[in-house]
Amino acid sequence: MKEIDDLILDDDVRYAEDHEWARHDGDLVRIGISDYAQDQLGDIVYVDLPEIGEEFAKGEEFGTVESVKAVSELYMPVGGKIVAVNNDLEDAPELVNTEPYDGGWIIEINPSDPGDMDDLMDKDTYIEMLKEGA
Amino acid sequence: MIAARKDTEMNDQPRKTVLHQWHVESGAHMALFGGYEMPLWYPTGVKTEHRAVLTAAGLFDTSHMAAITVDGADAFSCLQHCFTKDLTACIGRDKNPLSPGRCVYGAYLNDRGYVIDDAIIYQFDTNHYMTIVNAGMGAEIAAHLTDAAAGMDVSVHDLSDNLGKMDVQGPRAAVILSKIIDSPEVVFDRLPYFAFKGHFRAEATRPGTVTLTDGTPILLSRTGYTGEFGFEIFITVSNTEKLWKVILDAGRDFGLIPCALAARDSLRAGAKLPLSHQDIGPWPFLNHPWLFALPYTDDGTDFTKEFIGFEALKTAQYDEYTVPFAGFDLRKVSTHGTTKVIDSDGSNIGIVLTCATDMAIGRVEGVIVSITSPDRPADFDPKGLSCGFIKVKKRLQPGDIVSIADERRTLPVEIVDDIRPDRTARTSLVKML
Repeated sequence: MKEIDDLILDDDVRYAEDHEWARHDGDLVRIGISDYAQDQLGDIVYVDLPEIGEEFAKGEEFGTVESVKAVSELYMPVGGKIVAVNNDLEDAPELVNTEPYDGGWIIEINPSDPGDMDDLMDKDTYIEMLKEGA
Repeated sequence: MIAARKDTEMNDQPRKTVLHQWHVESGAHMALFGGYEMPLWYPTGVKTEHRAVLTAAGLFDTSHMAAITVDGADAFSCLQHCFTKDLTACIGRDKNPLSPGRCVYGAYLNDRGYVIDDAIIYQFDTNHYMTIVNAGMGAEIAAHLTDAAAGMDVSVHDLSDNLGKMDVQGPRAAVILSKIIDSPEVVFDRLPYFAFKGHFRAEATRPGTVTLTDGTPILLSRTGYTGEFGFEIFITVSNTEKLWKVILDAGRDFGLIPCALAARDSLRAGAKLPLSHQDIGPWPFLNHPWLFALPYTDDGTDFTKEFIGFEALKTAQYDEYTVPFAGFDLRKVSTHGTTKVIDSDGSNIGIVLTCATDMAIGRVEGVIVSITSPDRPADFDPKGLSCGFIKVKKRLQPGDIVSIADERRTLPVEIVDDIRPDRTARTSLVKML
């Protein structure tokens, strides 16, 4: 597994405690899981995506990622309505491993409260959190 | 989203094999298993490791397993009393007795007929045996054998952390080992499935000797836990790292890669092999897919010998059945929490013991096909199927469809006779050279 210093941590996203990331995409917010999360999970073999139009509150479970070892819940880093899901993940769930911040994005939402983003961690705070847990 | 790193938290110091540092330096994802900190997968990932064993070869560090020697004039009687297999009638179709250079799979039961651990017994000669049990079980099984041997001429030694072991599994295993052992044509002549040659001690000469090209002695056994062709190698701890690197080096051109415990688990599940303390354990060792481990008479109505637990098995009113299943896609249920098995009437009839994903199989018009099946479609690249074992209160037949459920998900699965087809464990060695 990767050392914390070797993790790829995007500058332009904010991080949740559960290792999801969120990025502004115009008025929308795009969401995925961090390099730390995909490294911990191992080969992702299946992603359970929500339906477009569904609404979830911040912290609510919106789907799961399944690796060879386990099924892990995904929690909304910010609340909102699903406007898009990454259909590439159906045939290529491994994109979550190989491109966690780009091709491996999971959902895109219309955020209910844009202020939610401020509650998330920036990169340095997230790194600190990871180091404390190690 | 990620479970707390319970597996890697070390309250007590975990045990380590001599290859631990190598695993960590290779970037392996580590976790606790059987009291040892072991690699779960390397940066290659589980799917690549699982498939490598089917198409080329994989090298597994299995030094965490426990070895016990059993010696003395009464060693055979002691083992015969403690082990489920009838050692006087266990080799081949003719049911010959165990003999030097042969080994046999079975289990040690307690007097309630419950499995303490499954194991393999090796015979060196009339008065010298070795039994291999699971990680962390050396002390308990050694004590069990010692108790059973009270008053007998038997001496039991737990070798556990004083022996190295690694498994080379996959179709290229013999070709790779040919490059690193002396006189491979002699070693590989007459080495059937569940036979072995050599010893990890230089002074031992039965059955035959097997050495690396530099003279290092090894015990080479045609066994393994993946269901595919291959070997287990026993060697002294001081030579373990050297052997590991020698095999990796020799195997590189043949596609051999190091493989770890997650791939080991998915391979054995697809091979319909039990995991001790999960698929077999503290319940009567009856009504399961491994009845060949019990000494039934030809008509199946009795046992051919007495052994610890036999009376309990004969009189048990045991109405549960352990059966293998295969799913229709790769999704699994988690066996960490509560599980259910729901039959066609909607009744909860049992629990899920193992649910893994065999990444090398898929269904073609309902039939399970492997990436190595001779009749597979061109460009067959399956996503994998869930598979494993359930324990249910009702007799089920192959072809029955039930649902398995954890706290969040319910999935249909099919009861099957076998899981991954076209396995190579028993393939004649001559065909693999």
